[in-house]
Amino acid sequence: MCAASKGDRIRSSNVLCVALLALATLTASNAPAQPLFEELRLIAPAAPGGGWDQTARVMQQVLQRERIVTTPVVENIPGAAGTIGLARFVGAERGNGDVLLVSGLIMLGGIVTYDSPVTLADAVPIARLTGEYEALAVPASSPFRTLEDLLTAFRADPESISWGGGSVGGSDQILAGLIAAAVEVEPRRVNYIGYSGGGEALGAVLGGQVSVGINGLAEFAAQIDAGALRVLAISSGERLPGVDAPTLRERGVDVEFENWRSILAPPGITPAERARLAATVDAMVRSSEWREMLARYRWLDRYLAGDEFAAFATAEERRVRTVLRELGASAASGEASAFDPYAALVLAGLVFFGVAAGVSLVRRPNRPRRLEGLAWRPLALIGAGAAVYVLLADSLGFIGAAALLFWLVARAFDARHPARDLAVALGVAVCAYALFDYALDLPLPAGVLGAWL
Amino acid sequence: MGTLEGLTFGFANALTVQNLLWALLGTTLGTAIGVLPGIGPALTVAVLLPVTFGLDPVSAFIMFGGIYYGAMYGGSTTSILLNTPGETGAIATAIDGHQMALRGRGAAALTTAALGSFVAGTLATLALAFFAPALASVALEFGPAEYFALALLAFSAVTALLGASLARGLFSLFVGLTLGLVGIDQLTGQARFSFGIPQLLDGIDVVILVIGLFAVGETLHQAASRRRDEPAPVQLTSFMSMSRDDWRRSWKAWLRGTAIGFPLGVLPMGGSVIPTFLSYFAEKRFSTTPEEFGHGAIEGVAGPEAANNASTAGVLVPLLTLGVPSSATAAILLAAFQQYGLQPGPLLFSSRPDLVWTLIASLLIGNVMLLVLNLPLVGIWARVMLLPRPLLFGVVLVLASLGVYSLNRSLLDVGLLYAVGALGLAMRVLDVPLVPAVLGLVLGPMAEQQFRRAVAISEGDLSVFVTRPISAALLAAAALALLAPPLLKRWRRFRHE
Repeated sequence: MCAASKGDRIRSSNVLCVALLALATLTASNAPAQPLFEELRLIAPAAPGGGWDQTARVMQQVLQRERIVTTPVVENIPGAAGTIGLARFVGAERGNGDVLLVSGLIMLGGIVTYDSPVTLADAVPIARLTGEYEALAVPASSPFRTLEDLLTAFRADPESISWGGGSVGGSDQILAGLIAAAVEVEPRRVNYIGYSGGGEALGAVLGGQVSVGINGLAEFAAQIDAGALRVLAISSGERLPGVDAPTLRERGVDVEFENWRSILAPPGITPAERARLAATVDAMVRSSEWREMLARYRWLDRYLAGDEFAAFATAEERRVRTVLRELGASAASGEASAFDPYAALVLAGLVFFGVAAGVSLVRRPNRPRRLEGLAWRPLALIGAGAAVYVLLADSLGFIGAAALLFWLVARAFDARHPARDLAVALGVAVCAYALFDYALDLPLPAGVLGAWL
Repeated sequence: MGTLEGLTFGFANALTVQNLLWALLGTTLGTAIGVLPGIGPALTVAVLLPVTFGLDPVSAFIMFGGIYYGAMYGGSTTSILLNTPGETGAIATAIDGHQMALRGRGAAALTTAALGSFVAGTLATLALAFFAPALASVALEFGPAEYFALALLAFSAVTALLGASLARGLFSLFVGLTLGLVGIDQLTGQARFSFGIPQLLDGIDVVILVIGLFAVGETLHQAASRRRDEPAPVQLTSFMSMSRDDWRRSWKAWLRGTAIGFPLGVLPMGGSVIPTFLSYFAEKRFSTTPEEFGHGAIEGVAGPEAANNASTAGVLVPLLTLGVPSSATAAILLAAFQQYGLQPGPLLFSSRPDLVWTLIASLLIGNVMLLVLNLPLVGIWARVMLLPRPLLFGVVLVLASLGVYSLNRSLLDVGLLYAVGALGLAMRVLDVPLVPAVLGLVLGPMAEQQFRRAVAISEGDLSVFVTRPISAALLAAAALALLAPPLLKRWRRFRHE
């Protein structure tokens, strides 16, 4: 966003950047080369703060500082383990040669668990980038001193061991299933407690709310260093420097596992566009800045490009599908949805109180007056404004759609100055566009005006 | 480093021209985004992250802290003046705050909100400085059973918000609970009521419900009912601020709000809905004039605003001492720490005392700045109400549509926003209260998930809810909150006879 070289595209005039640059003392970058892209969008299919978002933002930093891309932009499309972002990417970005999607093992889990119609195979594989080992950890006060302690209890009574980790269908649950299978306990009997975020899961492990925590090694790092958590095992093939814990395999559990992250391009791009995107990622992973970031975030270098990555992803998908089916994660197991007592209770309550509320309204003396008091013309005008906005924002562009919405709302309030309102509408829309697109760096649809902005 | 020593050191560090400028920039930005519906501090900090990479981490965190605190100040403004809260923490403020504005007392409402935010922010930040590690270890005692009990306690607050008719109030609650069913079940990964629409897999964002019911619903209602009984335009009879009586009624509410908000902020369950509504509930229950609530009681603004800011500071406790983020903004702040190669956790206070104490000191300074910034704004905001209403509501809808679009960059969400707006209009016309629906959407999924989590961990043993002491105490408090008022009423009647 804050491109330093002169004459860049307009986004570098981002007002926040200018304000910050005035105050900041930025370190000088190394010698500039010819950038491969003027602008490249990186889509993180998750909310800001998580692993995919971090990957996208680290890429943004490296690409920009190494002058590989002049203006890299991060967009977040969160939801459902990345499958919402993937579906939007495959649909809306088809044929666009200037956009990449961050993805990884957890997205595979999401595709299987939520039975997503769109899979990784629908996008163009560019490369696997990083990997992270997982750790099994217990609070310092836990009775489980070693992995053997835990597994003995687990074999004796599987359900008595609660495994706390990230979302259902994600890498943590997959590892729990793999361990169960390796020690010959039926994976379906793993009492897995999914938490929606790493933070929530960490709190549950620290407080001893679950028997054992299962998460990325980096998530536990600070607590391990402080002695608050004890690592029972790590999922790497070899012992890791700086981590005083055995591997699973070393303790007789034949599982090696890591949570990998990767980069995809949209379908429908030309071979030349694909080559250019691959070259961009390749230049990035070869930079010294990227090495530094890998060390800082404790990520493993798992760079694997092109078709080899595609073959790897296919094999992983098969493995994930098998494990999740054994675990009984809903859609993957193909079971029909069971009776849901809570949902039934809520719906019954809705119907019951809906009827009761209806009765209370009918009995009320002043009912007719209130309904007659409604004027329908203003409602129709605002409804039209909303419809215009939702249906036309993409083609007409945000400024046109917002100005029309504003103008119709003003009509609804019976303003007697249509011309003045139109002028104000355009002013408000342009200001809002400037505020969001440049100051807050949230790209809005530009539509027909796109060429001038 | 002791706490006092640390604070002294922190102030010495924070009171440089450069750091004060960062604090000023952060607080100004924060106030601005707080006023915009849908745009929260999480998004703003995320956008600024790459820009601040070249900065010294201390400066960057001073600015982020300012944004974080500032956003909580700005949030009350639109609630009070337009009845259009842009985020969940400001809904409780809207109930009585807007009523005050309608009665020409908007300036007093804005002032008590700003002062309450200041008092709560300062006290809570001091509590963070002195008690953070101890509080964090108490928070870890909270497991699923305790969170479930807490959710039930918060449900009891609904009784203060049901409005004129029990049936309609509960109907509204169940509308919220039903909306809360939509999306992926966190415990099984199974999609419920999402009708094959991928955008619904993640459930209905509470921000959409809040902006839809309040901002869009209010606009539709004003547009449609204007003809019949020309509603008195929101005029301010005077720009006078708080009276002596207002002060007398506010200060206790600020303190109570702080006492409720801070500990609830420490618990990693995210969001300011529970602290603000429990504060509103407490104010109404302990008031000698409960009948004023809903018609412009100043305590109903002072308490929740204080609770909102105190819980904001509380969120920093688990973040700094444990590395556990309990809100969206805290998750971004955690990512920001990691960007600088720092790992919040038990060792942060000893490994980077300079950073921690400077941050805490600059949060205290930022609070003063926010007060200085916001008090003069009160007069300006109050005059905003004098703008022609067509233009005012045009701006409201344009900003609401934009804010919702920016959540997931989805126009479908904007469509959903207007559908919810139509629902809000219908509920207004039929005199169904709006707030229980929001509470249902927030609390329903939380109660259900935590209940099932607790039962899964205990292998189906329901006694965990009463054998764990904190859980049992919270359940008793919830029962008391539900049963005490009607019993008391009966007792009084009995004594009178």
